[in-house]
Amino acid sequence: MADADEDAIRAPSNNPAQIETDLSDETQDFRLLSHLNFLSDPSSGSLPRRGEKDFEPNPTEFQADVLSASRQAMHNALAYPRIHNPKNQIVGIYAPEGPTPPPQVIGESLKTVDEQQKSTESAPPAQSKPESIKPDGKGVGVSPETCVYVPTPKGQYFKTMGQADRWNRVWLLPEEALYLLERGSLDIRWPSSLIGSDSNSESGVSTDEPSIPMSLQAAYACFIGRAGLTLERFSVYTGLRRLGYMLIRAPGWHDSIEQSETAPATSGTQKTATQPPSAQRGPGLAGIFGRVFQWIHDPMSTASTTAGPVAGLGIHRNYADVYRKLALIPWYDPVTAPEPHLDDTTPPFRIVFHVYKPSTTFKKTAPPPPDFRIAVLSTRDQTSFPTLSQLGALLESTPLDPPRGDKMDRLLYMRLRHGYRHVILAVVDQGVVSYLRVADSAFGKEKLYEAKNGPSGTKRNRFSHGSKRR
Amino acid sequence: MDLTPTLPIPISYVSGRYLLFSIDAVTYLRREHNICGVLIGTLPQIPQQNVFLGLPLELTPEEARLLVDKGVACIVDEAKAQLGMKSLLEEDCRRYLHDLEAQGLGVMRVQSDRKEQQREQTLKKIEAKKAKAKASKASAAAAPADAATTTSTSTTASHKDTPSAVVDLFAADERNTLSPNSRTSSSRTTASQPTMGITPATSYPPLSHPVSSSSSAPLLPAPTVPESYALFAHLHSRGYFLSPGLRFGCQYVAYPGDPLRFHSHFLVVSAEWDQEIDLMDVIIGGRLGTGVKKGFLLGGSEKSIDEVETEAERVDSVRTFSIEWAGM
Repeated sequence: MADADEDAIRAPSNNPAQIETDLSDETQDFRLLSHLNFLSDPSSGSLPRRGEKDFEPNPTEFQADVLSASRQAMHNALAYPRIHNPKNQIVGIYAPEGPTPPPQVIGESLKTVDEQQKSTESAPPAQSKPESIKPDGKGVGVSPETCVYVPTPKGQYFKTMGQADRWNRVWLLPEEALYLLERGSLDIRWPSSLIGSDSNSESGVSTDEPSIPMSLQAAYACFIGRAGLTLERFSVYTGLRRLGYMLIRAPGWHDSIEQSETAPATSGTQKTATQPPSAQRGPGLAGIFGRVFQWIHDPMSTASTTAGPVAGLGIHRNYADVYRKLALIPWYDPVTAPEPHLDDTTPPFRIVFHVYKPSTTFKKTAPPPPDFRIAVLSTRDQTSFPTLSQLGALLESTPLDPPRGDKMDRLLYMRLRHGYRHVILAVVDQGVVSYLRVADSAFGKEKLYEAKNGPSGTKRNRFSHGSKRR
Repeated sequence: MDLTPTLPIPISYVSGRYLLFSIDAVTYLRREHNICGVLIGTLPQIPQQNVFLGLPLELTPEEARLLVDKGVACIVDEAKAQLGMKSLLEEDCRRYLHDLEAQGLGVMRVQSDRKEQQREQTLKKIEAKKAKAKASKASAAAAPADAATTTSTSTTASHKDTPSAVVDLFAADERNTLSPNSRTSSSRTTASQPTMGITPATSYPPLSHPVSSSSSAPLLPAPTVPESYALFAHLHSRGYFLSPGLRFGCQYVAYPGDPLRFHSHFLVVSAEWDQEIDLMDVIIGGRLGTGVKKGFLLGGSEKSIDEVETEAERVDSVRTFSIEWAGM
């Protein structure tokens, strides 16, 4: 053991054959970025390899030069502007009051309001939430939390983002707008109502498009904190978006929520595995014989534990029966867990995002069941590990997803790891996001003595491997 | 690069977090004050990855507090500051838009120059190819019937090459800045020049710098910090660069120099002066640190945050211990 440890320490630090490392784990040398050459030669593709770093500073000029080159590269990379080619520039307009009909419509119609309240009225009854503005969004037919509209939507992004209103404008939620602006794909303009200088802003019918672009700084100031969007949630949203996942808000987004998403209700009655033998034989000779025979042979009976050996007296035909009799301790079966209530969860431990893999065919009007469910925690607000009841309530708010498939059937370890319910915790420590997957595994359901040859060799290896890593 | 931004640097307080948007401020703080923060934004030039991130920079409350106490920075309530947009003068607006337009034009020119260069290069390559083809044709002139077919095929082939190569370059170019699907195959034209739109990173201008315009600056008090701040300040005063460390199983990761160039040396965990420490935690930390070739650093301050009178006193009242698994 000690030898192995020492080897690990003594091994040269730049051993290329080291375990795969997550590049985003560490600060990368921005000089590598310039190898990408997007400035001089944008056609070059892949990301750089991990750079070599020094152990500690020394007073050599060489090191100082390298460091200053690194910093210069970082400066250049970060100073790169967000530019919009006029040919495919997408302009969005900030609507601080939430969705409203276009200005020319406001004047003429207040009568059509009633017929199109459907989606806005079904919004959760807002209990006291001082920080989030809840405009009613009457008559537009999009979520009242959207706050940027794109008059002429084009491009791929609107396949997975935004909601269209009747006037063919696409409304974006704050995180969508901020993400697009940050990646340089959307040019958001200040509305004339927020710009003092615009003289004809009073009438609200200025024909000119608002022209002052919103800076990144202004966008953060306006969008973070709006309608429940914390910086942590945005970090998770944008981090996963960058990797190609699709994210939508889950029902647990708001602290005040009504019951909406539930798992199919399973009739939860029995909690233990020991099922009482149900076959009751009728009276008569056969019945008596049967009962005697059953007493001798009943593999499930543990009636004799108080008096005799745990495994009971009688005839044991095989080990499985013995083991079954020895299974005295009741265990938790996730399949029969009580019906989930979103209300039971406590705010940070709530699913706020539904995540879809890039390969999932996603339709924003009818989102399929999500591939992952994510709860977002901030280390500055939640400093302790969640309690069992918090985690349990969180897990119970996810639908049952038992391990299925050929691979799962074969591999015990995979089954246990997959679990019956699972959720991902995104722990955000000052901008650094770690993802933890929590699953509800059912060890009680995996009866090793029933497996044909016991756990096979490979599985056993994996088990010991897993436990060693802890 | 060695610019010094106007001091004190305004740190944006957005929804309980501390952010920096100015690239000059970010490099200045890194260079002069050993403050790195964490980049959390998307780099517009390569937006689909998480290895290199861009502005804004998120500062921990400890970092923000340290800078405020040093007088290098101040905290600005950004949401309030943005309300200043309302009181912008029309002429300021116009000047700002004019500036942006000029910048956009500049970027446009750089880009079109580059495209021009690239096109010339590819054209040269094609020329070279054609010349080669001609040479081979000349050599194959002995069999004229065959030669005719080969030349025709080779020329068509090279013609096919030309537009696709050019389009590829342009498409790749646009991918960096804009949505890839809207690549236009007719991107050859750069003649009619509407300017590039620019989304600036900071709001100053058009807003006046919140510190210089002392009138309406919505400055906030120094951030409240956890008890571990004393240890943070202590290590920082000794020249260490610190970054949030939960991912590595500790409170802070301490680097001997700029993390751009150096590996970290310590996993830092703070404890209170009279706090009883579970021996298991020491062992766990020691093993973890040794396993990743770092020391496990345990430290704490004799005096709590509000007890000290000067920063020097705070820094001096800290004791630290480094634990390493010797593996004998």
